[in-house]
Amino acid sequence: MATDMRRHWFFILLSLAERDRHGSGIVRDVLELTGGELRLWPVTLYGSLDELREASWIRELDVAPQADEDRGHRRWFRMTPQGRRALVAEIERMQSLVGVAQRRLARVGESS
Amino acid sequence: MTTPRSPRRSFVVRLYRALLFLLPADMRDRDAAEIEALFADELSAARSSGLLAQLWFAIASTLDIARRAPYEHWRRRGRRPNEESTMRSFVADLRFAVRSFTRQPGPTALIVLTLALGVAANTAVFAIVDGLFLRPFPFPQAERLVYLNERAPAWNLEFTGINYPDFLTWRERARAFDAMALWSETSINLADESGVTRADGLAVTYDFPKVLGIRPILGRTFTKEEDGPTPTRVVVIAYGLWQTRFAGSRDVVGQALRINSVPYTVIGVLPPEADFPGKTQFWMPLNGDPNQQGQSYSFDGVARMKAGVTIEQARADLVSAHAPVWARSDTAHVVSPRLSGLREQFVTNFRVMGKALGAGALLVLLIACANVAGAMLARSIFRRREIAIRMALGASARRVGRQLITESLALAAIAGIIGTLVGRWGIRLLVAAAPDQIPGWVQLQADGRTLAFAALVIVLTAIVFGLVPALQPRRADVAGSLAWGGGGTRTSVGLPQRRLLDALVVIEIALALVLLAGSGLLVRAYGNLRNTDPGFRPDGVTTFRLALPRAKYANGVVQERFYSRLVNELKATPGITSAGIVTCLPFGCHWGGFVEAEGAPPRARNESNPVVLMRYASSGYFGTMGIRLTRGRFFGDDEARVRGRHPVVINEQLARQVWPNVADPTGRRMKWSGDTATSQVMTVVGVVRDVRHYGLVNPMRPGLYLSSSDVDTSNFRPSYGIAIRSASAPAAVTAAARAVVRRLDPELPLIELQSAQAAVNRSIANRRTIAFAFAAFGAVALSLALGGIYAVLSYVVGRRRQEIGIRMALGARRGQVVRLVVRQGLRLVALGVVIGLPLALLAASALSSLLVGVGARDPITYIVAIGLLAGTAVISALIPARRAAGVDPKTALGDG
Repeated sequence: MATDMRRHWFFILLSLAERDRHGSGIVRDVLELTGGELRLWPVTLYGSLDELREASWIRELDVAPQADEDRGHRRWFRMTPQGRRALVAEIERMQSLVGVAQRRLARVGESS
Repeated sequence: MTTPRSPRRSFVVRLYRALLFLLPADMRDRDAAEIEALFADELSAARSSGLLAQLWFAIASTLDIARRAPYEHWRRRGRRPNEESTMRSFVADLRFAVRSFTRQPGPTALIVLTLALGVAANTAVFAIVDGLFLRPFPFPQAERLVYLNERAPAWNLEFTGINYPDFLTWRERARAFDAMALWSETSINLADESGVTRADGLAVTYDFPKVLGIRPILGRTFTKEEDGPTPTRVVVIAYGLWQTRFAGSRDVVGQALRINSVPYTVIGVLPPEADFPGKTQFWMPLNGDPNQQGQSYSFDGVARMKAGVTIEQARADLVSAHAPVWARSDTAHVVSPRLSGLREQFVTNFRVMGKALGAGALLVLLIACANVAGAMLARSIFRRREIAIRMALGASARRVGRQLITESLALAAIAGIIGTLVGRWGIRLLVAAAPDQIPGWVQLQADGRTLAFAALVIVLTAIVFGLVPALQPRRADVAGSLAWGGGGTRTSVGLPQRRLLDALVVIEIALALVLLAGSGLLVRAYGNLRNTDPGFRPDGVTTFRLALPRAKYANGVVQERFYSRLVNELKATPGITSAGIVTCLPFGCHWGGFVEAEGAPPRARNESNPVVLMRYASSGYFGTMGIRLTRGRFFGDDEARVRGRHPVVINEQLARQVWPNVADPTGRRMKWSGDTATSQVMTVVGVVRDVRHYGLVNPMRPGLYLSSSDVDTSNFRPSYGIAIRSASAPAAVTAAARAVVRRLDPELPLIELQSAQAAVNRSIANRRTIAFAFAAFGAVALSLALGGIYAVLSYVVGRRRQEIGIRMALGARRGQVVRLVVRQGLRLVALGVVIGLPLALLAASALSSLLVGVGARDPITYIVAIGLLAGTAVISALIPARRAAGVDPKTALGDG
């Protein structure tokens, strides 16, 4: 479960790292980021946003930064400094994970 | 009701929003609107990728709710420890259910599909039944509205139409009503720069809007003065016409509309809900004549009862208000007023059909439930060991039962969503199948009410098919199920379950027999209807109507000149072999009168005097329609132009009625009787076969044809039907006919242009719809029953592998084993038939009014239905039977 959530959180944070977005903007961006592989379904998206807010990794903007071009998306989200730190930490963790795996596979490759 | 102006959320979005109620309250309050908007956006974005993409998106989003909602609840409850365990176990149950479904995708899909079919049939039928019977007319206090008419049993008429002076007497004397009005359906030629169209509307008395409780959204309706005996050129237009013709412009009031070649002034616009009794585009004043003499009965009436007045009181009041009419001109009380509930009046024709469809859909759902209950039961029996282990590890029977119920609910929910979507599609299909059989005021849409009904069906379904297996673990013998290796687990245990499984299949077969027999009878009745001789030859005949406006064609002589030119030009057109005209085409209008026949036996005072259908026709009409002559000859067109000669062709029905003992009535004379009597004496020149004028379902009345050239300057016939027989393709003919009419008068629209065969089909479209619906129900029932038999026998064969192995080891042949299994299947069918046959006979007698030419106890239908069930039972039993025969005694006994 936790790793699953992480995946959602990770891409939402990655999406918000670029700029502030509303819900539908995040869905589109994550679709694009993952080459269409990860679609954030509506309830999952807002559930995850809620969790991220509780963790203080994102916050909701009081005022929409752009003119209200699409009705219904009045809620915009921004990544907090804590959120950015968490994202960076996660990327570092993944990097070290990848490093470990690559070293092991390289050795296996030699011996076989 | 929703006004068409407010932006309508699509059905799928509304369904999705309803499902969002599964979310925790705080999340719903904060996020539901955004989630819904996001869903709606993405759904419409998916539209460009096609229907499947949209469907997939909708289903995946629904699953997203199902997956996420328990988690969201759990996340919140996590802070409140006392509720955690229930919620957690629900989530666990759900996850467990989903996992067990995905492990067996095939059977799960089959279960879901089966249930979805049942839900779909019920949703579609409910929408129709709801639209017809449950939803009130969109008028304020619609329950106080009643339908008025008059009846005359002696004339063989249940509805004569209302006589205008009678109505005036009622309106003056009746006390039980707030208001009372008349209407008459009428149609007009509506001209503008782009051409001429035909528009249908109502002529109404001035208080019509008061009765219905309708206010115009612009301008006003008629005043009492405008509804006086002299026609006034004012018109109130309906919302639809306002939108299409005037683009909803607010300064439409005061503008002119060219109606029947005469300018009329628009004085008001009606709200959309004023579409009564359907497809109404305008209202005109009725302009009845209070001094009208004679028996002209033609109007429909509607009245609003005073608050607190019952239908019976209103009826009694109307009868007492009618008393002066009887005293004045009808001492024999031949004509009397009739009053019924407005909706009741309009749905009479659909009552049997609605009930039959509802019952049929319910049977399909019940069969689906029995089927799924069987499948779930079989599953739960196969899972006995797993369940027993869980119980041995401390799970309570209650806990395990709840697990099973959760599984059923999850299955029912998925099936319900698919079924509701398919059902919506089914509604569209039904509406498309019979577009003009469904009255315009019926709102056929799957809205909140349909949704609520579907939800109810889903929950009830889940309970029905989920309860049976859920009750099982309590009775389960834990120790017995866990005893490995003991031959007992395979043969002796499971007897009660097998009985239950057998019972479910027997129920399925019994219900399937009811549906099969019903559909067989309805399809045969429809076949009989199709083969009914309509009294003319519709193949190769095209018909349409023309209405000559009085402003241009003042009287019968001018009209006759136009029509003879038209007929001549049509006949001169290549491809058209003959053409003729008649005042009322088959299945069309009705004009009636009474005749006095020379030499007819005198009629007793109380003897009935059936009304006679009167038509004017040209000499070419009979040949064009292929109406057969049984005696004498047809009249010639010139014959009636001779002053004082009125040749008449009568139908067999009339001949039988007035001259029952005369072999050849040609040369006999008759005249019109009653108040409308003229001195004209008609001479019978021929007798023709009856044409089924009132539809193939209804009996023919006595009727006669007079010559269309029998005219003078005092008469005016508002419309004529034109019939064309052609050798070439109908499309070419209709184009040619249009060209000819346009050449003669560019302001005349062709009304109801269609092939005669289409008119015949339309007259029985209702019966076709119900026959097809039942055939579909029957096919579904048959395949479900077949699946049920297959499942049970497969299960039984699986259970009895050892026994079969022993038999074969002892020398039983393959054929014997196959017979053993098939016989078991046939036993279930036999039981099902024994139970189903009386039910089917009962159901058929309820359908009897729809059964034309086939008895409710028609043995052939029942034999075929039973044979079909038995035959498919044998086929579906053969597969498990062959599997059983393939049992290798060594392995079968070895793994015991």
